[in-house]
Amino acid sequence: MKEIVAIIRRDKVPEIKQVLEDLGYPSLTIQSVDGRGKQKGAMCAEMDSEMPDSYCTAAKLKPTPSTYALEHTLPKVALYVPKRMLTIVVPDDVVTKLVKSIIKVGYTGKHGDGKIFVAPIGGAVRIRTGEMDGEAIA
Amino acid sequence: MKMIRAFIRPEKEQEVVLALEGAGFPSVTKMPVFGRGKQKGLQVGPVHYDELPKTLLMIVVDDEDEKQVVKLIHEKAKTGFIGDGKIFVSPVDTAYTVRTGEEGL
Repeated sequence: MKEIVAIIRRDKVPEIKQVLEDLGYPSLTIQSVDGRGKQKGAMCAEMDSEMPDSYCTAAKLKPTPSTYALEHTLPKVALYVPKRMLTIVVPDDVVTKLVKSIIKVGYTGKHGDGKIFVAPIGGAVRIRTGEMDGEAIA
Repeated sequence: MKMIRAFIRPEKEQEVVLALEGAGFPSVTKMPVFGRGKQKGLQVGPVHYDELPKTLLMIVVDDEDEKQVVKLIHEKAKTGFIGDGKIFVSPVDTAYTVRTGEEGL
């Protein structure tokens, strides 16, 4: 068993859910997280269009030439960028397939597309029935 | 690679993140969580708090950087009082960057 932890853009969640469902692995856990990568957050101009205002004070200003100039000379204003973290536990043999499809759907080509981590899982239990390991995630 | 999950005091988060950034580990995912430890929460007079707010920082680093990052978080998040939090380290097989599709951090 492997755990796939995918930290992706917020607007890609419905598509990825659909793709996972089509592949036969509909079970997942979704969490709202804030993250930063090598770019140490995001600048105003680079941020997601759906970024909430609280993440960017300059975005609240009316776009006039002076505020535009201000926006583009601002230092890194957002320390964190909102992301969604998907956690999926699957059998070993389908990990590559799922990772590839998540990358295919989550791709935009810009910074901030996210990371996917694959980690081993020692055991699993389905609480309702008490089934262990492989049966629990089937 | 190792995944480091640090449950720390929310007010220490910025200090820890800035220290990590200074040491060359700018990438981190954070989320607010609620938890309790050995002390089963906190008793303040007649009021009992069963779960206390903490911040969970998730960092994936190469094996050789693990000790350094754990030490740094420990140094910066420490106050010496009960409730400073815990750090867990678990193995990660592979990491992929969605933008490039490449393996590795």
